Amino acid sequence: MKLLEIKNVSKIYGDLKALDNVSLHVDQGEWVAIMGPSGSGKSTMMNIIGCMDKPTSGEVLLDGKDISKESGKALTEIRRDKIGLIFQQFHMVNYLTAVENIMVSQYYHSLPDEKEALDALERVGLRERAKHLPSQLSGGEQQRVCVARALINHPELILADEPTGNLDEANENIVLDLFRQLHREGTTLIVVTHDPEVAEAAQRTIVLEHGKVAREIINENFEE
Amino acid sequence: MSKRKMFLRMITASLLRRRSRMLIALLSIAVGAAILSGLVTIYYDVPRQMSAQFRNYGANMLLLPSGESSMTLENAETALQALPADTLIGATPYRYVRMDMVSRQLSFTTAGTDFEQVMKTSPYFHIEGRIPENDREILLGKAVADQLGMRTGRSMELTWQAGAQTAKAAADSASVAGQTSAENTAAEQDRQPGATLTGSAEGWQNALIYVTLTLDDEAKIKTITVDASLQTEEFGGRTATDEAFLAQFIGKSLPLTLNESGIDALSGATVSSGAIVQAVNEARAIQAGSAPVESKRTFTVTGILDTGGEEEDYIFMSLKDLEDMTGEPGRLDVMELSVQAASTEDLQKIADTINAGAMPAEGTTAADPAESASAASTKNAEGTTAAAPESTSATGSGSTEGAAASTSTSNTASDVTARLVKRVTRSETTVLGKLQSLVYLVTIVVLLLTMISVSTTMMAVVTERRREIGLRKALGASDNSIRTEFLGEGLFLGLLGGLLGGLLGFVFAQVISVNVFGSPITLQPLLLPATIAVSMIIAAVSCLLPIRSAVAVDPALVLKGE
Repeated sequence: MKLLEIKNVSKIYGDLKALDNVSLHVDQGEWVAIMGPSGSGKSTMMNIIGCMDKPTSGEVLLDGKDISKESGKALTEIRRDKIGLIFQQFHMVNYLTAVENIMVSQYYHSLPDEKEALDALERVGLRERAKHLPSQLSGGEQQRVCVARALINHPELILADEPTGNLDEANENIVLDLFRQLHREGTTLIVVTHDPEVAEAAQRTIVLEHGKVAREIINENFEE
Repeated sequence: MSKRKMFLRMITASLLRRRSRMLIALLSIAVGAAILSGLVTIYYDVPRQMSAQFRNYGANMLLLPSGESSMTLENAETALQALPADTLIGATPYRYVRMDMVSRQLSFTTAGTDFEQVMKTSPYFHIEGRIPENDREILLGKAVADQLGMRTGRSMELTWQAGAQTAKAAADSASVAGQTSAENTAAEQDRQPGATLTGSAEGWQNALIYVTLTLDDEAKIKTITVDASLQTEEFGGRTATDEAFLAQFIGKSLPLTLNESGIDALSGATVSSGAIVQAVNEARAIQAGSAPVESKRTFTVTGILDTGGEEEDYIFMSLKDLEDMTGEPGRLDVMELSVQAASTEDLQKIADTINAGAMPAEGTTAADPAESASAASTKNAEGTTAAAPESTSATGSGSTEGAAASTSTSNTASDVTARLVKRVTRSETTVLGKLQSLVYLVTIVVLLLTMISVSTTMMAVVTERRREIGLRKALGASDNSIRTEFLGEGLFLGLLGGLLGGLLGFVFAQVISVNVFGSPITLQPLLLPATIAVSMIIAAVSCLLPIRSAVAVDPALVLKGE
């Protein structure tokens, strides 16, 4: 079953075609990597899927619903209810503790629940770091908090933008292991990356070049 | 956990953990709130303080004898009962007589008073030495002391003459209460050939001028002597010495009219000239029956009075000493009151209460016989408080007799008229008016500055937190959530700043009050909540623009990697 279907989507900034008539789909529970060099349209694709931008033309079907023509307010609601975001720069509220950062996500979604937030931290192995401020956490730890935050509202889709871009190899492996775990639990994952190793961890890799889908690679060695 | 709790947790965390930036905003609000609440406190307290302060500039009300009758101490004290409780700061009786220093051939206006009260109604009196505390002690005005070369601790002999006193007393009541036809008739009768007449009238700034006339065989003026020592020396004072001016009077029949009757005013001394003509017209014979009675006492000078005013020309002694010399107990020329009142209107009301039922002198002569009779009966019952309760009960009966009696009840103070000292009350109102405008102006300026400062700080805060705002939006925060959060932070800042500022403001007002007025202020219980409310409003308004820019943040732009 297709969770996300992108049909003939173009995004044009002035003379620049960031996305040029792209079509792709992601199935429910699938783990897909979107790869490509700088300027290939990865970020634009990420913003459109993450409901932070709208295509100039084409359809974006999320859960069978076209979101390409929705208003900003509706997109905010869709993002809040269905999508968990993970960023390269982690992005935590710097004056809130780890657990509070997770609760912020709950706060906008439904109701803050400290116990549930602590459980999520437990899951990423940071239960004992709950009361630490971002400045007291390492990069890897911050990213793990962000993974916990992305999970907390049980989104249908986790969208990660270069999640390991600012991490060392050890932390990269920890994060990828977390992704594997999520995948086993049936979470749909889209990871935007330019790192082949990260892409190889996914079931399928979509390569973008010059705003177009250049090729798709099925990862033969994918470990369930 | 409820959303509200999380909301509070977020905004308190934002304020407490991001101290440096928020401290600036908090400080702006607190300083603004402190100045505002301090100003408002002072503003509300100042009329009270000023009122007390203005009492330092002397009496603001006078009790004067009304009509022909003279005032007694009892009259005045009865009138004072009309004052609201605790408003009377001081009441100083004055009796003025002329006393001579025979050895130096000089004579001075001598005031009999109550020294304890003087310091309350005239706190500005600067005394070198000390106030008389015992019998036979006097205070000399600086001008008197200079003229005599007297210093504290020295003794001087003063002589009082009954004849001069009587004439002056008559003239005094005439000059204060205004001229009456009865007075004129009496004066007319005294204009016998060969008589010696004395009179006085108010000249420049109500200071008395004294004249002594002798009449020739045709009852025309033979000689005239003017004592204008209370007038300004270079103006009115010249009337006593200008021979050409004085020569005009010789050979004239009484009464005279200024600028007619061949009497031209001395240029530069028109008021004094007019007063001399009035004094001449009102001059009375020295009573033949009472041959000049003299009393002589030696006094010790305990202090020299330096006021910069006309008091420097007087000698002050206790009322008791003065009465001892004159043998006329209880009589007063004026009673100076220092009354605390919030406004001139209030003061006027108090004066009106005292005057209620009092008979104006002009009314007495023109009034119908019944009214005159009741005024006369009051005069007979002068100051007898025992008569008052009787009259009151009679009023209750409602009979015609009772009605007549009630007139006399309300007239227990009829010998006394209360007048405001306009100079003092007016400047009080002016100063308060100016203070009010100043407070308004400063309030507006402070509000604006606070708003600009908070707004600028919040703008910087928003810029600094663009990523966080973008993240919140990415996590699903609606525009309204962002607005609420920043407004919440602003209101919280306003609350803290208002609380801090309100307390600081009280301290600020207290310090100013103690330093400027020398007395602590009274706390306005509503001021702190009001300050907090105003601070919160100011903070909220200051946040409007920063909030707009916060809402405009595009998460896709600010969250982009690198």
